[in-house]
Amino acid sequence: MSLQKVEFVDTHGSVVRKCPGTKRHICCGYQTIDLVEGCVLSCSYCILKAYLKDDVIRISRNSDAIIAELDEIIDGCGDHILRFGTGELSDSLAIDRRYGLNRFLVEYFGRKKKAILELKSKWADFRHLEPFLNPCTVISFSVSPQRFIDAEETRTSPLRKRLKAARLAQDRGCFVGLHFDPVVIYDGFEKDYRYLIADIGRILDPAKIIWISLGTLRFPPPLYGLLLERRRKYLLTGEFIRGEDGKYRYIKTERIRIYRMLYRLLKSIDSNLFVYLCMERADVWREALGIEMKDNESLMGLFDERIKNVYGGTL
Amino acid sequence: MTDIRLSHIDLKDRRFSLSYPLHDATLRWSIATVGIIQPVILLDRTPYVPIAGWRRLDCARALGMKTVPALVVDMNERNALLIAIHDNLARGCNIIEKAAILDKMVSFGFPREDIFDLMENLNLNRHEKVLSGFLAIARLDMPARDFIFTKNVSFRNIDSLLRFEEKERKKIVSSLGSFHLTESTLREILEMLHLLKIRKGTITGRDMPALPNADALRTHLKERTHPILSGLHRKLKAIRDAMALPPGMDIRVDPFFEKEYIDIIVKIGDEEDIVATLGRISELAEKGYVRSILELTKGRIR
Repeated sequence: MSLQKVEFVDTHGSVVRKCPGTKRHICCGYQTIDLVEGCVLSCSYCILKAYLKDDVIRISRNSDAIIAELDEIIDGCGDHILRFGTGELSDSLAIDRRYGLNRFLVEYFGRKKKAILELKSKWADFRHLEPFLNPCTVISFSVSPQRFIDAEETRTSPLRKRLKAARLAQDRGCFVGLHFDPVVIYDGFEKDYRYLIADIGRILDPAKIIWISLGTLRFPPPLYGLLLERRRKYLLTGEFIRGEDGKYRYIKTERIRIYRMLYRLLKSIDSNLFVYLCMERADVWREALGIEMKDNESLMGLFDERIKNVYGGTL
Repeated sequence: MTDIRLSHIDLKDRRFSLSYPLHDATLRWSIATVGIIQPVILLDRTPYVPIAGWRRLDCARALGMKTVPALVVDMNERNALLIAIHDNLARGCNIIEKAAILDKMVSFGFPREDIFDLMENLNLNRHEKVLSGFLAIARLDMPARDFIFTKNVSFRNIDSLLRFEEKERKKIVSSLGSFHLTESTLREILEMLHLLKIRKGTITGRDMPALPNADALRTHLKERTHPILSGLHRKLKAIRDAMALPPGMDIRVDPFFEKEYIDIIVKIGDEEDIVATLGRISELAEKGYVRSILELTKGRIR
């Protein structure tokens, strides 16, 4: 699929990290396992372009050290049910069939039964992991309208395949996550999202969707110049401002409008769906979702509750 | 060295011309006062072809001199170009001259390694992308090159300017030519123009009407690229005008209306000021002004 160079590296220091969050925005307390750095999917808006120094895919080969680190973190945390993911500095599944990277993690979380592993992807193929899947693994897909995927996520699986794969995961006993991230403003995006959410309601079992995140497009300043240079019309239609964290994001009134619309559409599928905002301000939570979200701890508490509800206290 | 009649020199043959701009008032005054001290270098052809000393020749022509002191050399064109380049290197070259040097080296067929070596001596990165940027500068029309030179435009902004089509670039150069521009203002204006071009497919006269200065143009463009933000600023201004804040008191709002809170700044000279200020703040709150501003910062009003 890609000609990018792949290197196996011995990583030094910690590979498991708390999501860095962002200044004055509420973070869900996600933990990242930086098993792979770099991505073959190369979406046009990907912030990895601004963060990583080259396009080499670096795979950590220290699986024993990663397990030891996870043991220490999970056993040392009594306050929350931790959620881990390998999709922060890469796509969790894009090169997994070829390199078998996640299997040891899937098996580990299945044995551990105290935390959740989320494999977050735009690549709709996890069949190689099927024999090892267990309820502690959540298969998640980023979802966007097909029109947007055709324009900006050209190397990824089409939406239809992602949703079919999500359904397959549900049928194999896994919970699935959906990530509306990035939500992008372009001409006609509202209609496209209505169809997208209707498809989700038709194809997936809402009771087995563990969470849905909403996050509008945001990126660090160096990426803005790149998007202008590459004339990404889809990505530059909306009105951007610089947030308190210095990142470009849509102006607040627009973010609220988008979140309200998506929240209402999703809740119309099933009012029990767990929908959260990724990296948003407390006042946006209040205005868009009508939820008083004080801080990171409050959101982590909501996740704990959600996990307890859907797992029936088995975690 | 010999004196050569100016009429025997082909001043239209600019194949070795690198100097920009050609006219130099100080040099002209100097030559008018003491004459040409340093001889020009001419290629031995009929008529003679200037290699180095273009500014001196321009002054001589303007001053009506009949002859100029010259060194006449006979060599191939590539060596002549090297003489021209090295004659200019010592005094330091501006961005347009660097572009001309690289463009001529390419068109004279110098190997890439030689060109990259020279780029290092011109304090440029030896990189194909940098070279192609300079070649594009060399091929710009005169008004665009003048604009870059007179405004001392950075390479980053030149790169941004080059990404417009020629017709659009002409419009931009002619609109901005008379403005006092800082590097950051120019960058902001070019970014907004790119944004409009991406959204609409082209830049029209309505995007760049005749305006008195760069700030006015920046505000005009902001209205077009950021209509919601501009609308919020207009509403905020209307509220501020209605509030008629007394001297020594200010309300500060996040310029992007991202922060949900506002800062009320007061200057206090004595305790009585505190009482008076608090009274004034209460009055403003009672009249609903503070709430109106907070409505803007909470994203409730578009």
